[in-house]
Amino acid sequence: MTAEKAPAGRHYLDVWGVAKSFKGTRVMSDMNFRVERGELVSLLGPSGCGKSTLLRIIAGLLDADEGSVVLDGRDITRQPAHKRNISVVFQNYALFPHLTVAENVAFGLRARGMAKGATGAPVADALALVRMTEFADRPIAALSGGQQQRVAVARALVVGPDLLLLDEPFSALDRKLRETMQVELKSLLLDRGITAIFVTHDQEEAMGVSDRIAVMNAGRIEQFADPSTLYSRPASPFVMDFVGLSTRLEAVSKGRDGDLTVFDTAYGKVRAQENIPAGTRALVGVRPELVKPGEGENRIATTLADVMVLGSKTVLHGGAGEVDRILCELPGIRSGMARGDKVELGWAVGDTLVYGMAS
Amino acid sequence: MTSRIDRISLLAVPGLAYLAVIYALPLLILLAKSIRTPDGISFAEYAAFFSDDYNMGVLLRTLRVAALTTLLALLIAYPTAFAMNRAKGPMLTVFLVAMVLPMSLGVVVKAFAWSILFRANGFINTSLQWIGLTEKPVRMLFTETALVIGAANVFLPFMVLPIYAVVRQLDQRLPEAAASLGATPFFRFFHVTLPLTLPGVVAGSAFTFSMAISMYVIPSLIVGERQQTLSMLIARSFLYLRNEALGSTISAVLLAIAIIVVVFSSWLARRLEARQ
Ligand SMILES: Nc1ncnc2c1ncn2[C@@H]1O[C@H](COP(=O)(O)OP(=O)(O)OP(=O)(O)O)[C@@H](O)[C@H]1O
Ligand SMILES: [Mg+2]
Repeated sequence: MTAEKAPAGRHYLDVWGVAKSFKGTRVMSDMNFRVERGELVSLLGPSGCGKSTLLRIIAGLLDADEGSVVLDGRDITRQPAHKRNISVVFQNYALFPHLTVAENVAFGLRARGMAKGATGAPVADALALVRMTEFADRPIAALSGGQQQRVAVARALVVGPDLLLLDEPFSALDRKLRETMQVELKSLLLDRGITAIFVTHDQEEAMGVSDRIAVMNAGRIEQFADPSTLYSRPASPFVMDFVGLSTRLEAVSKGRDGDLTVFDTAYGKVRAQENIPAGTRALVGVRPELVKPGEGENRIATTLADVMVLGSKTVLHGGAGEVDRILCELPGIRSGMARGDKVELGWAVGDTLVYGMAS
Repeated sequence: MTSRIDRISLLAVPGLAYLAVIYALPLLILLAKSIRTPDGISFAEYAAFFSDDYNMGVLLRTLRVAALTTLLALLIAYPTAFAMNRAKGPMLTVFLVAMVLPMSLGVVVKAFAWSILFRANGFINTSLQWIGLTEKPVRMLFTETALVIGAANVFLPFMVLPIYAVVRQLDQRLPEAAASLGATPFFRFFHVTLPLTLPGVVAGSAFTFSMAISMYVIPSLIVGERQQTLSMLIARSFLYLRNEALGSTISAVLLAIAIIVVVFSSWLARRLEARQ
């Protein structure tokens, strides 16, 4: 190791140059990840991209092969998990089955040496916070999924952690309950000013819950930005595809035409501001709610493959091929369009996303 | 629904019938003999047994040897079960074979192997003298220590396997959750790992203890006639003394201990499970 030092104190959590291999297989290399005090951050990515691995390295449940983890100015890289004061809410909650609800919540306090008699008040507060007061003496097995989740949150918060890590905390809940819990947890964490990192592979959850989202792919962070930037200006085709659906078309640059670059696609010409040299292959995209029938500077012609009326919106599907996909989302219920109709769809030049492809 | 359950429970009939004829009936006859005297029903045999210092000595030794055997087996088996849980593929097979193979060897062969190990010019004594720990050979064969070591060896699989079964079910994230809540390894062990594996410990200890109080071949071969155990006393009463009343009295005492162990351990196991 060289005598490099992490820039201590600049960021609340500073994960710096972390690498990890399992039995010789690199799953993470040169990971850099920084979180500010009081932030709610999501790690978003497909299964196996290394979200849990990063979380476990931060928590101290896994040793990094290289790099360091600095929390609030303390280098905790070599510290065992129990000395870090970082609480974790696990995917299936990992509540202690041999203890009651109250005993589970008291566990962290007891582990820190608090006398049994002294845990009553903080445990009652924590249970009240998650509205589980009347369940204090129940065994864990007698709770529903949502109730277990609340107990897990109370157990993690009662110790006053410096950082809260949540590994897919909502994935075992049904959709309705999941949305309720997301709102509840978010306001709980904001009220108490707790710095938290969520792991999820649900992009809506990430966008709803967090201040910033780190989109991960194959052990790397592709983009780390606030939800609106991530959605409107995805840094790569991967992020564009992973965060929300969009129209995407294979294209070839035809060079500049004034201030704009012209692209050839299978559905017509598309213009964009990015300067891409002529002859270069590229991917152009646009978010579906920005696409309108018969409006906008960029126009493409397609045959509707499907029209889905979803209530709050109507989605038109067009395009065909391995890569090409055309999506148009219109607010409310639209009638008068059907599968097989030929339509012209358009959008503004400024809304066009372009990714040059090195090849 | 009820008729379905009834039909399924019919499957237990052959087993129950077998147990009734082969196990319960002879046992009842045996018990009857312990309280039937020429003057009618009497517990005089029991009073005589418990007031005899020699018998009480044998009873205490039997309990002590069984308890120490259980303890030793537990101390060896508990970490072994965790090691087995970590082991994968061929290593796990080695563990399981190492557990099961000695069972097929038979106690007699093993006991003779130990006597080679324990005797005055055996391997252990030669080693001790060579290291310089002792000058003269230490007497090991025919001692209680040798008996406990040998018995723990024979019963080890019955301790390891129930614990292993529980350890295998242990959710690995529970100790991790405990660590992230600030629990030291020590606190984690005593508040999470141990309580959750206790049902396996109870089951293994009950097996080992009940086998150890009734063992006959192992003490006969390792300590011989000098230090009797209850089983040896029973055999002597029936075979040499031809005193059926005494033999069946001791059998009843042994049976009572075994029943207490089984009832207590299953009560304990149920209580532990109810908590989970
Ligand atoms: N203990 C381990 N041994 C070997 N490989 C592992 C281990 N843990 C994780 N991996 C591998 O590391 C990679 C990242 O795993 P990780 O669990 O971090 O993914 P994830 O993003 O959390 O996925 P998911 O959304 O499915 O939970 C995967 O390829 C996985 O197979
Ligand atoms: Mg994961």
